[in-house]
Amino acid sequence: MSVLKDTATVNEEDANLLVLIIDTNPIVWRKSNFSLKEALRHILVFINAHLALKHDNDVAIIASHVGVSKFLYPIPMTHENSDKTIFPNMYQKFRVIDEKVIANMSALFEDVDTPNNYPDKASSMMAGALSMALCYINRITKADEIGHVKSRILIISVSPDSPYQYISIMNCIFSAQKLCIPIDVCKVYGSDTPVFLQQASHITGGKYLKLEMPQGLLQFLMIAFLPDRYNKKYLCLPGEERVDFGAACFCHKKIIDVGYVCSVCLSIFCRPLDECSTCRTRLTLTSVRQNGRVI
Amino acid sequence: MPTVIVAHFKTNIYEYLEALQKSTLDKLYEEPATCLAIFRLLPSLARQLVMSLLFSTQIMSKADLRQWIKNDKESLSKFEEALDKLQKLHIMIEQENKTIALNSSFKQKFQECLTGGGTHQSFGKLYNKPHRHSQSNSHKLPDIKTLDEHAKTKWEEILHFMVGTDRMNSPGASVLKVVTKANLMREKEGKGLEITNKGFQFLLQDVNTQVWAFLIQYLDLASEMLHMNVVEVLNFFFMLGSLELGQDYSVEGLTDTQRQLLDDLTNYGLIYRPKKSSKRYYPTRLATTLTSGNSAIVSNSSSNNPTDDDDSATEQGFIIVETNYKLYAYTSSQLQISVLNLFCNLQFQFSNMVTAELTRESVRKALKHGITASQIISYLTSHAHPQMKKRPALLPSTVVDQIQLWEMELNRLVITNSYLYKEFRTFADYEVVLKHANTLGVVVWSSDSKKMIGITEAGHERVKAFIKRKIVQRRSNGGDTTSSAGGTPAR
Repeated sequence: MSVLKDTATVNEEDANLLVLIIDTNPIVWRKSNFSLKEALRHILVFINAHLALKHDNDVAIIASHVGVSKFLYPIPMTHENSDKTIFPNMYQKFRVIDEKVIANMSALFEDVDTPNNYPDKASSMMAGALSMALCYINRITKADEIGHVKSRILIISVSPDSPYQYISIMNCIFSAQKLCIPIDVCKVYGSDTPVFLQQASHITGGKYLKLEMPQGLLQFLMIAFLPDRYNKKYLCLPGEERVDFGAACFCHKKIIDVGYVCSVCLSIFCRPLDECSTCRTRLTLTSVRQNGRVI
Repeated sequence: MPTVIVAHFKTNIYEYLEALQKSTLDKLYEEPATCLAIFRLLPSLARQLVMSLLFSTQIMSKADLRQWIKNDKESLSKFEEALDKLQKLHIMIEQENKTIALNSSFKQKFQECLTGGGTHQSFGKLYNKPHRHSQSNSHKLPDIKTLDEHAKTKWEEILHFMVGTDRMNSPGASVLKVVTKANLMREKEGKGLEITNKGFQFLLQDVNTQVWAFLIQYLDLASEMLHMNVVEVLNFFFMLGSLELGQDYSVEGLTDTQRQLLDDLTNYGLIYRPKKSSKRYYPTRLATTLTSGNSAIVSNSSSNNPTDDDDSATEQGFIIVETNYKLYAYTSSQLQISVLNLFCNLQFQFSNMVTAELTRESVRKALKHGITASQIISYLTSHAHPQMKKRPALLPSTVVDQIQLWEMELNRLVITNSYLYKEFRTFADYEVVLKHANTLGVVVWSSDSKKMIGITEAGHERVKAFIKRKIVQRRSNGGDTTSSAGGTPAR
């Protein structure tokens, strides 16, 4: 069965599942001259555009917040809440999703305790959001017996990397690679380069794009991030070719260019150690000490 | 694979739209729901191009657009195809100064569709008044099962009528008109109607294609005989495609034409109304899947819509084909059995399934009715049992190949009316004529040993003239060799 589920080749009639991860770190968004509210307006139109492309296109939206990541859509609902007021001026599916995203987003921001109690306020829970996205995709793919659903992930990122999440993010990236799920990254704000996410898009065959003008978010989304996997075969899309392969060390979570690697489990350290902290292998560093630093 | 079917259903409506005047299309694009539906009919790359241009304020030329496309043959041909379709539907307009722009009304309304602005009510007005009897429970909303049931009975009534299994329930007069207009059935000499070859082909298509084929014929009829406004009718069809199953919508805000449509569509099972005078109407699954193409077959397996779980036998596959040409169909529907009977030998019938066999005779019978091999294959594919869909190739390749071989068998002989030239005096004479005829390219057949040549009807005069010229030449040269041209039409 699993052999037949061909997720790598795409054809025109496939349904597309877009999992959108929105970095909602309020502290970073406030610094930007482009508010999250405005960005959300653009993103909602983009979601509608994605749904408009095909009848069976679907979307999942995850907020990567400070200290927590949450599904904004879809949320398993008890059926009672579905108020059946249909708004005649809008396509029903668009409206349902837009409203749920807005409602769940405001619910997310009402909870101020979780972010306040979380130590690393500069970044967001990208690793958690990525894992949720992959799990969701995995479930949908399993349910779809004929391999009709093709998934991809798009990350709207603002906050810098959190070195604490290095290992988990890398694990997510490799699982995505294994499942043939491209991860696209759209960096809306911030002068830094999110090294991990850039690697994510590079390894999985996605696109990484940093916006010079966040006000043009919608147009960028429409041109660079709307094309599904089928159309990408034919399009030249904007994107950055240069990738920074920097890694974070396992011992102090510092991002380093040159470091020490355990010869057994490939863990990365910024300083030579006598024993690998991951696999407990005893390391002898005599040769290293003689020759200087080794990558 | 659903690909085949979708292509079918799209080409249908597509050809119709392409033939429309620019002014008609412009009027169509004033409804966001219609914009969305037509947008979804476009090829994938064309949709992407529209989206890229939709919120752009830049002025682009065709060369600028081509910058987006990879520079290889396949991509460029896809691009040209996409542009061609967009221009034919007047969604994209190439102006005199070589710039390319979206149709302004399409651009505006489609933006509205995505952003949710405007007051057009093109996605259906809900019936808002509280149900008069809702407390007393005597007037319940029809559930989805009722709607499916209604759709199924009404639509199958039409099909049954065509197959002739059920002569008792003759469908409404408007159905009969459409059926004869579409040449699916024709007047028999004696009385009543008889199914045509086109009708047989129609039966093998999937429901969505059938409905569209039907609606397009209805459109022609509506504009010719009932003097309906094509734009209003089309808008209504496309609006139906965007409605929610199981919801009640209000007839308020519909034009007179559209109210008239409601009655006819109720007859076809696209719409359910509790009473004829009711102020409410409910779209059925036939209507809500109009613009989605393959959803009727595929969305059952995707878990996003819990209402899709109920088994409507027409939508789910039920046929298992084995490599030994045996066919098992899990159905008790008389209609489906008679459709199968078009190209299978039925063997046994049980309460929930029939067994049948694909034989040379049974397939030839179908082919003689004008059904093509690819139609049989696509029918088997689209109605394949979910278990079959788990295999890499859906149908056994032996069976698919054999059906195609049986079709080619019928095309072994090609009949061409021609003239036979024989009794050449010498081989040299024969050779000269043959050589000349060959240069003209009119030889059907020739035999060196019998000294005979078959010449097409078109070439006969010229070859005859050539031979006469030769004879005259010989005579004037004193020779007496003649070659007699026997103008006998062969086969």
